Amino acid sequence: MSTRIFSTLKYAGLFLAVIGLGLILLSPFIGEPVTPDLLWWIEPVAYVGAGLFIFGAIVGYVSVKFNSNSRAGRPDGRTWSQVTQDYFDTFAHDMGRPLRRILGKQREARALLNETGEVTQRMVTELLDEIENQAPNFRLMIENVRVLVDLEDQSASPAIEPVDIAAIVRNVSDRYSPIARERGIDLIWWCEPSEFGLVYGDGSALDHVVTNLVDNATKFATHQIEIQLTRNDSSYSVRVSDDGSGIADSYLAHVFDRGWTPELSARSEKQSSGLGLFIASTLAERCGGDLIVDTNQSSGDKTKNPYTRFTLSLPVDNRS
Amino acid sequence: MTAKSIGSKQTILVVDDEHMSDLMRSVFRQLESEGFNPIAIVPDGPRVTGDDYETHTLFAIENESPAAVLLDVRFGEYDTDRFKGLSILKKIVERDSSMPVLMFTQYARGPYRDTAVTGSLSVGSSVDFIDKLASPEEVVLRLRRLIGSAPKTIKIGTLFELEPENAVVYAVNNGRHQIIREIQGMKLAILNELASAMYRSEGEVVPFSRLERFSDGEDSRASLRVRIRELKVSLGKAVARDFGATELIINVRNRGYRLVPPIE
Repeated sequence: MSTRIFSTLKYAGLFLAVIGLGLILLSPFIGEPVTPDLLWWIEPVAYVGAGLFIFGAIVGYVSVKFNSNSRAGRPDGRTWSQVTQDYFDTFAHDMGRPLRRILGKQREARALLNETGEVTQRMVTELLDEIENQAPNFRLMIENVRVLVDLEDQSASPAIEPVDIAAIVRNVSDRYSPIARERGIDLIWWCEPSEFGLVYGDGSALDHVVTNLVDNATKFATHQIEIQLTRNDSSYSVRVSDDGSGIADSYLAHVFDRGWTPELSARSEKQSSGLGLFIASTLAERCGGDLIVDTNQSSGDKTKNPYTRFTLSLPVDNRS
Repeated sequence: MTAKSIGSKQTILVVDDEHMSDLMRSVFRQLESEGFNPIAIVPDGPRVTGDDYETHTLFAIENESPAAVLLDVRFGEYDTDRFKGLSILKKIVERDSSMPVLMFTQYARGPYRDTAVTGSLSVGSSVDFIDKLASPEEVVLRLRRLIGSAPKTIKIGTLFELEPENAVVYAVNNGRHQIIREIQGMKLAILNELASAMYRSEGEVVPFSRLERFSDGEDSRASLRVRIRELKVSLGKAVARDFGATELIINVRNRGYRLVPPIE
């Protein structure tokens, strides 16, 4: 936004300066000399021209200076994007503080109850479980906002590095297994070949895409979530499947829309912000891959099991 | 500085200025319950800075020979210490790049990690990042994987224990360990594969391609199925149980097998 303003000012300044210069040059022909004996530049039009020229030049210079500062960075060498990220880090850290305290208290209370062996009221246990289970939601929400800030920076490109994608899938599985178990869902993962090896990619983005896909599956699965990691010589894919009721054809086109959640159509309480799949899809594209969805909605036909499958496909080596 | 060592347990250095918080206490408790000896770095003095943590950490690494370090990114109340953890990480890696370090960050990935990777890490460094809001179980699981050494004992629920090094499986009954002699050779190798996967990650399925190495005959899949059945029968016999299709070793259709701790 600020870049556009500075750019407009720069051209406006240049335009005024050119008009000013033109008036100065033309003043002997279009005006009446105040003092005929002196040269043309003391003609009144020349004064106006000189004024415009100086004003335009100053505006242009200042605009160019500010614009280059905002693009290339501040005096400390950091870009505005980095400064925004820095502020966001502080914000996220401070916002996480109350949650860390609540989680800590909850875990202490649970440990105390386990030690004393007291029979606890069901509501108390449910409350403790709910606090624990909401923590990953909160983690993901903060991370999603951070990635959104990142995505606004059009000049940013993926940070390519060797990535142990199997370790990423394993970590995400470990993070969501307790939540899935709590909801009566079996979360399994496997990779073929079992010694998967490294790929080149943006590890941070890949972690985030897989996390969003598994988080989404955890919300809609009935009994099982499966994460499948496969590869060939040139590409690999991560497929996250759940056995939930599937997605209606009419909504399929909106799955990756920003802010869309299935609950919108059901008018029920939203379980998510609707950012996860939008971010996953955008990140996948930015990493040179794609994210597709296929689904089979439950229709009462018992021979056809409902499912939803998200498949992320990426090149094994996207350094080029 | 406080420091203590107990027996031959693996020591974990915990470097976090909030080590007395409820959140960190739950991590300490989990570490202890899983057989580790956590030691908190606690510099003395009225005005403790990130530099004090750095000095004490490097000193403790020399003296305590920890198996791993659990390190926070942010330290203290001074703005200069905001990313002190990254500086401490750099010093640790410079001195011993093989030292496993698990870093607590706001994000498991993202700017801190990127800064750390750019600043001090190579691909070979044993450094991982985890969100501070992660459950204590997840923290210890990640630490275990980072330390990497194969465990001496893998517990399969409360009924069985496997010692990979000694190639022995025990049935556990009221604290008494009884060797299950029937499980040897390929059956033991299969159990070892399944137990190791379970130890690494709760939901990991071992694909057929990996297990079929331990089967023979023309139809390796069928041969594997037979061995798995024999394995389940042997384990069940040792504890007077009959494990069904959805217990202990589960066939995940068209994928592989998975070990699940039996419910007592």
